Amino acid sequence: MLLFRSEETVDLWCESNGVPRRPLITLDQLWQLSVAWYANRLTVESRRPAPDEMVSVFASIGLTGPFWDPRSDSFGSTAPPGPT
Amino acid sequence: MASCTILEGSAHKMSADADTTIKMTLYRLIAETGRVPDAGEVAAASRFSEADVLSSFTRLHARRLLVPEPGDPRRIRMAPPFSGIPTAFPVDAMGKRYYANCVWDAYGIPAALHADAVIPASDAVTGELLTLEVRGGEPVPLPYLAHFAVPAARWWEDIVYT
Repeated sequence: MLLFRSEETVDLWCESNGVPRRPLITLDQLWQLSVAWYANRLTVESRRPAPDEMVSVFASIGLTGPFWDPRSDSFGSTAPPGPT
Repeated sequence: MASCTILEGSAHKMSADADTTIKMTLYRLIAETGRVPDAGEVAAASRFSEADVLSSFTRLHARRLLVPEPGDPRRIRMAPPFSGIPTAFPVDAMGKRYYANCVWDAYGIPAALHADAVIPASDAVTGELLTLEVRGGEPVPLPYLAHFAVPAARWWEDIVYT
């Protein structure tokens, strides 16, 4: 997950790495994700969100669809949807 | 048979308790020093042997909570959001320099520490310095963008790349 000044540099990176352009995230959205994932990471109760919780977190900041679903097989995943 | 089940359940609870203690020790040491300790350092800071810590690292990796250094299970490459090696995402907070695994984790460090932070990151193409900042529990507004190249279902197929 990389940082870019603009959509132009995102496109340059995708082109040079031969990968399709994926959804772009604003820094405000990124901060909300970081808080949801990590705010309790240094506590005994810390655990990664379960797959359905991940989907809810993404949806709460407007990130929906198979790209954001760890249970999706739309991208040829063979990885089991484990806890994070 | 019943006693075996009880003993197995007891052993499972003991390993789960050990994993929690070892994980908390690991994260405490990172927060205090800015550096990710190895298994020996975690053992020295806890009541567990290095062998116990290594076993715990293996279980925590299976639960996707830690990533060991390839080829050296004594060291931790990723204790999200912290990186065990210097990266392009340094995070200055609480008078220390930490390293994050990616831009998401760069914000994750001040979120985990509940601290202000300055993050001298850079554009992935041009290398231009793009400094992020968290102040008073909020990110300083900036127009930059993050790009996730890998869909969520495939993050752990190669988590270091992700």
